[in-house]
Amino acid sequence: MFNYQQWLFIHRYAIRDIRRSYKKLWVIAITLFISLLLLSLTFSIKQSLNDEIKSNSVELLGGDVQINSGITPLSDERLLQLSKLAKVSQTVNFFTMLSKPGEGAVFTDLRSVDEHYPLYGVVQTEPAGAREKLLVETGAPAVLINENIQNQLQLKVGDELKIMSTIFVVGGVIVSVPDLTNSAAFGEFAIISKNEYDKFDLRTAGSFLHHDTRLKIPKSNDYDSIVDAVQSLLADDNNIRMKLPSDSAQSLRRIIDNFSNFLNLVSVSAMIIAGIGISNTLLSFINQRNTSIAIKKSLGFSSQTIQLIYFYEILVVLLSASIVAYAVGVLSPLVANLVIPASFGISLQPSFSLLDYANVAFIGLLVVLIFSIPSLYSIPSIEAAALFRNTFQSVNLHFSAKNILYLLILAAILVAYFVLQTRQQTLTLSYFFAFFVSMFVFYGVAKFLIFVLRQLPAFPNNTYKIAYRNIASKKSLAPIITISLGIGLTLLLTLSFVADNLKREIVQSIPSMAPDLFFISVNKDEKEPLEVFIRTLDSDAIMEFNPMVSATFVALNAKPIESLVSRDNRSHWAIQGDRRISWSVEPPEDNLIIKGEWWKPGNSEQMLVSMDSRVAEDLGINVDDEITLSILGREVVGIIKNLRQVDYRGMGTNFAIIINTAFAQQLPFEYVGTLKSEHPSGEIQSQVLRQFPNISAIKIDRILSKVGQIMNKIFIAVTSISLIVIVIGMIVIVSAVMVQTSLRKYNNLIYKILGVDFATILKAMTLEFAIIYLTLISFSISAAAFASYYVVENIFTLQWQLDWGLTLMLTASTGIVTFALILLANKNMFNPAVYPLIRNE
Amino acid sequence: MTMNKSAIQFSDVSLSYGTSDNRVEVLKGISFSINADEIVSIVGPSGSGKTSIIMLAAGLEKTSSGAIKINNEDITNLNENALSAVRRQHVGIVFQSFYLIPNLTALENVLLSLEANQKYNKDEEAISLLTEFGLAHRIHHLPSELSGGEQQRVAIARALINKPAIILADEPTGNLDETTSKNMMQLLFDYTRAQQTSLVLVTHDNDLAQQCDRIIELKDGNIV
Repeated sequence: MFNYQQWLFIHRYAIRDIRRSYKKLWVIAITLFISLLLLSLTFSIKQSLNDEIKSNSVELLGGDVQINSGITPLSDERLLQLSKLAKVSQTVNFFTMLSKPGEGAVFTDLRSVDEHYPLYGVVQTEPAGAREKLLVETGAPAVLINENIQNQLQLKVGDELKIMSTIFVVGGVIVSVPDLTNSAAFGEFAIISKNEYDKFDLRTAGSFLHHDTRLKIPKSNDYDSIVDAVQSLLADDNNIRMKLPSDSAQSLRRIIDNFSNFLNLVSVSAMIIAGIGISNTLLSFINQRNTSIAIKKSLGFSSQTIQLIYFYEILVVLLSASIVAYAVGVLSPLVANLVIPASFGISLQPSFSLLDYANVAFIGLLVVLIFSIPSLYSIPSIEAAALFRNTFQSVNLHFSAKNILYLLILAAILVAYFVLQTRQQTLTLSYFFAFFVSMFVFYGVAKFLIFVLRQLPAFPNNTYKIAYRNIASKKSLAPIITISLGIGLTLLLTLSFVADNLKREIVQSIPSMAPDLFFISVNKDEKEPLEVFIRTLDSDAIMEFNPMVSATFVALNAKPIESLVSRDNRSHWAIQGDRRISWSVEPPEDNLIIKGEWWKPGNSEQMLVSMDSRVAEDLGINVDDEITLSILGREVVGIIKNLRQVDYRGMGTNFAIIINTAFAQQLPFEYVGTLKSEHPSGEIQSQVLRQFPNISAIKIDRILSKVGQIMNKIFIAVTSISLIVIVIGMIVIVSAVMVQTSLRKYNNLIYKILGVDFATILKAMTLEFAIIYLTLISFSISAAAFASYYVVENIFTLQWQLDWGLTLMLTASTGIVTFALILLANKNMFNPAVYPLIRNE
Repeated sequence: MTMNKSAIQFSDVSLSYGTSDNRVEVLKGISFSINADEIVSIVGPSGSGKTSIIMLAAGLEKTSSGAIKINNEDITNLNENALSAVRRQHVGIVFQSFYLIPNLTALENVLLSLEANQKYNKDEEAISLLTEFGLAHRIHHLPSELSGGEQQRVAIARALINKPAIILADEPTGNLDETTSKNMMQLLFDYTRAQQTSLVLVTHDNDLAQQCDRIIELKDGNIV
């Protein structure tokens, strides 16, 4: 056991060694810093966002309690009871068209608010105080619009706008609303008064109405008892959902969780590749100190003491890198504030957490341990006896059975540590599995290349011979290039292929299949006049109208559905709030029945259900199961008769749930429709809106371009982040090249003495890299193509295609940058000075 | 009559390398003993096994057969850690190529030997020895800033600072000019005699060998 004085000696020696040899440790410091920085940024931003959500949870919810009653408002009796317990505010959200004559129309998330809105926080507007204009009853009613609407319709304060058949005046532009909505931030969002909404008299069954009632509990009252009282007041109605501040911003929390998990995986990938660099650099560090280690042994130092000195040095580097990385991470929310849209009304604060730092440092420690063990355990094989013979052999990574066991245990801890911290455990575990398999595969790629080259006949060409010797030698760069660059490049290619396919489908394939216009909120009385009117505009127009009604998924086989399906379920959307359901005599075209049978006409007493097969699979639903839907406030039990394969790609009207027409005849409903026409869709849209002001007509290209823009942003963010893995890989390769510089210099000197010119050496290096890189990218492209095919075809159910232009651009640019860095790292070896090398200096 | 205490004792020691098909026998069952205050030179042609004796005595090489005792302790079957302990407590080694650690100053190189023995904060002791060796003005210099003679004096100071019972020197003047060599050996002889330390000197220099108390001559792995 070591005593205090010995530890002090190890500490002093290590610090002195770092001070005098820091240049040799830069790769370890830089790669650790970058990967730990990414991890720190993730922890820090996530922590700040969660803190912000937590501290503003009441504002984000809009009240102490939020009651969602779907398409119907709460009854007057209930409102009266609630108003006795707390201050009540009612809002209704629905989507409709806002139009300005001559400037077209936009499909908008319109919110009607009462005089108490908002119960917490403020609606910030430009000019300030425009919120109050909603309450003014004289003249044309006011509407507050967000910046997107202002820009699209070229509006200014005081301009007129038409909503349905009512003329409104723009009272101001919304900067932010306290209760965060996606539409306010990214889409089109407007606010009118509840009085004006009531005048619309929307009573149709399928309207996309969303009634919310929020409560502000007086501070003097007992919060918990009032919440209990509200709960018991609403307990008898399954259609009503209640949310508390702790449930606010659930979707935002989920996005934060998913994105931070992605960042964590990228940063751990970067860190593991950095680990290869650590291992390599440490081994070269040890080999460079071969003599010093032998001298120490001759003085009586044990291998264990020497190992501890070098391990301590790495720990000091890790500690420094992790502290700087975490400090930058802590300050990063201040930078994040600059990129978060003002409409979110979020101001992140830097938050320091010792636990978060410990988390970052622990992950760094695990990686350092895993990758330094094989290097440090090479120290016992350095013999002091070599000092007598002047014969020093380079040592190699040491893999004994004991070491391998240590490595497996540490790797298992690392994986478990990540897996246990995320909700997407299977995905994370699969990622790690794929990652480690990829490492072995890319190592195998290098070995395969060397094997193939050895089988080939010797070409009588000096350039090839030098390149071949370099690749096939014991000190070949091939394994380190394939492993370090292979994983990063495969990740980048996979993400790019997936994004490229999605973009292509959105920009080309989907628009060619999709309709030009969507019609929603079409009353059953308006359907026929609308069809006739469109025929007058384009007699060849293809129209499809489907009846629909709002329904809520309540139970499966008499068990509350929310108790059966977790929020992380891929098809959780199907049970969330109101969904539109339809009915049909025949199965929809292109919907293949994959289980059960379509029903026969008749049977008006029994609700029969056809369900999207993927949703059914995700929710655990089978043919003959009983599902309970709440339709217009009445709970109806239906039987699943069949499961359908739904192709959403066409963007026509598809429904996850279809019921039998005989049963549906008794329900009030409205229509949703699509139109495909050779005529300009904008013209048809404006004419329809003029003639039928209550109908919403949405241009599909507008939605697609919006989806395309979002996709582009996500694509840029995701690929930029995955580039970090490639950057780390490049640093590792450069370090590996630099480790070999003296050997290469020596070889080049010999070539120089033998009369080989500079051009041949350069050509040989280029050929060496080209052979390794071409082998590497052929595997990377294949792996990325396979993975992206699986994702695009099976998860997104879109058609996969390989874009060779994109592939060439990505692989060529990565290859050129890597080769340029290799040349830069080797700049001293092209013209080696003869004298020092001949003198063995 | 007083019995001299044995510092090094080789009993029927053999050393061989390689496989059974291609075996090189370096030492063939040699036996000798070196007393605690004795200066012994080992001479012989290249490949006769001189350096191997030093390596075996320092515990840096394992015998193929036979036994070795250092200060009456059998080191033949000790593990690496125990051999390290024997080396740091009883043995000082001087190499032909000096072998100073390049990124440590002269003083730090000498202190390293003390630190291996868990003797810390002994700067004064090391400075005093370096001063005695005429290196007072060089104590904070790196090896690359020292001449060959200065480097070897630092290496000798490093070997002696622990006051070891045995000093093993492998061609210590091999890389030095004649004048420097003489001064160096005088320094080593004076110090070992003053400290009553045993010195084992491997050399090709007959004049130098003649200055020792005893000569062990090797040929083809045997003492002749």
